Amino acid sequence: MFTTIASATVLGVEGQPVTVEAHVSQGLPGFSIVGLPDTACREARDRVRAALMSSELKWPERRMTVNLAPSGIRKVGSGLDLAIALALLVADGQLEAAGLEGFGAIGELGLDGTVRPVPGIVPAVDALDASEILVARGDAHLARLVTGATIRAVRSLREVVDALTGEDGWPDFPPPPDPGPVRRLPDLADVRGQSAARRALEIAAAGGHHLLMVGPPGSGKTMLARRLPGLLPPLNDAQSLAATKVHSAAGLALPSSRLIQDPPFRDPHHSITMVALIGGGAPTLRPGEASCATHGVLFLDELGEFPPHVLDALRQPLEQGSIRVARAAASVVLPARFLLVAAMNPCPCGEANRPGYCRCTDRDRARYRRRLSGPLLDRFDLRIDVLRPDTNRLLGGEPGESTAVVAARVLAARKRANRRGVACNAELNGAALEAATPLEDGARNLLDTALRVGSLTARGLTRVRRLALTIADLAGAEAPLSAEHIGMALALRSDPLPRQDAA
Amino acid sequence: MNPSDVGFVTAIASLPGVGPARLATLLDAGVPTAVWEQLVRGGFARDESVTAALGPKAPKLVADWRRAAASLDPVELAQRHETLGIRLLDSDDVDYPEAFRSDIEPPRLLWCKGDPTRVRGRRVAIVGTRRCTRYGHDVARRFGMELAAAGVSVVSGLALGIDAAAHAGALDTGADAGPPVGIVGTGLDVVYPRRNRTLWESVAERGVLFSEAPPGASAEPWRFPARNRLIAALADIVVVVESTDRGGSMYTVDEAITRDVEVRAVPGPITSPTSSGTNRLLADGAAPVLSTAELIGELGLAVPIGSGSDSGDAAYRDPEEQCVLDVLTTGATTFDELAERSTLSLERLGLVVARLQVEGVVVRSGGWYERAR
Repeated sequence: MFTTIASATVLGVEGQPVTVEAHVSQGLPGFSIVGLPDTACREARDRVRAALMSSELKWPERRMTVNLAPSGIRKVGSGLDLAIALALLVADGQLEAAGLEGFGAIGELGLDGTVRPVPGIVPAVDALDASEILVARGDAHLARLVTGATIRAVRSLREVVDALTGEDGWPDFPPPPDPGPVRRLPDLADVRGQSAARRALEIAAAGGHHLLMVGPPGSGKTMLARRLPGLLPPLNDAQSLAATKVHSAAGLALPSSRLIQDPPFRDPHHSITMVALIGGGAPTLRPGEASCATHGVLFLDELGEFPPHVLDALRQPLEQGSIRVARAAASVVLPARFLLVAAMNPCPCGEANRPGYCRCTDRDRARYRRRLSGPLLDRFDLRIDVLRPDTNRLLGGEPGESTAVVAARVLAARKRANRRGVACNAELNGAALEAATPLEDGARNLLDTALRVGSLTARGLTRVRRLALTIADLAGAEAPLSAEHIGMALALRSDPLPRQDAA
Repeated sequence: MNPSDVGFVTAIASLPGVGPARLATLLDAGVPTAVWEQLVRGGFARDESVTAALGPKAPKLVADWRRAAASLDPVELAQRHETLGIRLLDSDDVDYPEAFRSDIEPPRLLWCKGDPTRVRGRRVAIVGTRRCTRYGHDVARRFGMELAAAGVSVVSGLALGIDAAAHAGALDTGADAGPPVGIVGTGLDVVYPRRNRTLWESVAERGVLFSEAPPGASAEPWRFPARNRLIAALADIVVVVESTDRGGSMYTVDEAITRDVEVRAVPGPITSPTSSGTNRLLADGAAPVLSTAELIGELGLAVPIGSGSDSGDAAYRDPEEQCVLDVLTTGATTFDELAERSTLSLERLGLVVARLQVEGVVVRSGGWYERAR
């Protein structure tokens, strides 16, 4: 007898629908799985056999073949176990085919018949075309987020069989999990002083400009970076779904079992490997940290400590907003549209190259500079130098503006950008940028002089115009851009020229 | 210097660990050819007067020298002088600078590139830290330029920072300016630091370069104090522009004091570590130097017309610009710090700083804003 059940695996961040076909016939007893299963898939043989027997079901002593269609594509993971088991039962006649009409199933089977959750349930269910879907209880809430089909949360194979044969009803849908204590995002008001740094954060959030923070250890760079996601506008529905799919595919916990709403914040340690950062980890070509930061912030602390080839791999996502990972068997496109924030300490002595204080030799500085490629540093529109704050200010200073206040300004500025047809000003280029940034006379003169004395390059000019536009948006000012906007943009732009000793 | 001895004394001076004192011991032990022969054979191990002078390390030194001597060829070394365009002088040579001849510790061997007779007339040494601030750099450069324009020779060590700035200023003058004199611690063919290559060549062309180290000698730390004494020996006045408490310039100051050469210091902000040494010199009694005019007058020369005070200060500044400049007087500052310490809003600050930058009054590099001129 022959039957099929719908299921799915995950490749990258997308689900791959799989049709599980089962065929049982006369002949020498045997059980084979075909359709390019990977090791975990192939091991389903033993798991399904044990599960069936533990559930007091008959293990067919006949010739059984399971095909995972489409047969030419590699199948990965253990999520097909449940579908394989059910398909076998139907093909053997132990279950009615009609009962499983239009059903889909995603779940791993334990040797005792327990149904277990699988990583990547969100993209997997998203790809599934069925009217009723069987999943493990732990996956039920997440599955319900992405499909209109009826979700059946099951504990074990026995439960499924009993429900299908009418012995018992379907188990109740589990209650929503306890969301846990409300995790408040860190507030900007915690930062004392550092007014220019706080403004740089605001500009980065409003315009989507990548930010580089330079300073000695203990100057508050990490603290500032952590407050950036709170300033970004909350994710819209499409972004929410995308971010949730990525997190699910990466195997990250989604404890509240609802769609992600806050912009993600990822801060990988500098010992991270390229595959862990960019993605492509076998066997599912798993998304990396850069993808998990999509629609959020990727924070690289100690930029100079990252291996150069790892940083170099970030160029594609920074330019295109996505990462193409190609392997021999398959290739995927992983989303990677994030706001990049990096912190660095420009020299080992801790004085951040301060003239007269810095004790580093030329060789120390050159060695540090060599690790950071020009093209990478060029990606940062904004640069802010932070020093260790004054103790008086730390203890007695008044708190700055709160996240809520600043986030409101950021949101308003973003709306203005939307009216220009882009999500944020960082996306403006070429003719569109020129059209959007008319200059007042004072502003034009300032730029002309800066270009003439050589303190501004042509590329820097584009950068300054973009920044000035965001600054104007935040101030609620109408075109044209004033000299003040240009002045602040000049001060906050990242200049690629490192400090040279006067020779 | 007997031309046939050039190769041998160069070889002797090229042995490891041979500084002025040990060189003297070896050169006093006989004629150069004989001394070299002994070194090749390690014969000095049995010579009591030499071993006594070398001290407890004598046996090891003699052994090391014997090993090193095997790979040194006096003939090739003599030839190298021609190819490199350098001369070896000793006190017998007529062109050996008089100031060295009458010094308490004159160099036994002096290599030079350029014209050694250019060491005549008034000479002012300008020394200071390698890690100078913009202020120190600008002062050193201006002093170098003004002194050279008045016909004074600027003497310095061609190190990074103050030394290089002083000579850069001295070279930035007309053809009849005072010739620059550079004294370096490496061999004259070893440009250290490499970044100063053009400066070396320009000083050798317009003035003269001296070294007590043989060609090929690399930048070993002990060579620099030795070189600093030569700077003090040649100078009529030593000017320290910027220095930390224990910089190499302080050694030059000690050597100057020993030789009764006047030491002057340029005052700086008390908050700046690179002025702590110079300010301390002032507190200990050195006279401050506020302009080159006083130095030139003291040397008995005429002050060229037109060398007035910096015009930048005299220009009117609006209150906002002045506020920023005031904050910058204490030293290099970040934009964030400027925002905290000035009374301006961020928008106004950005504009004011940008204007000051295009004017050249303020420079920004690597995130640090400094006052120029």
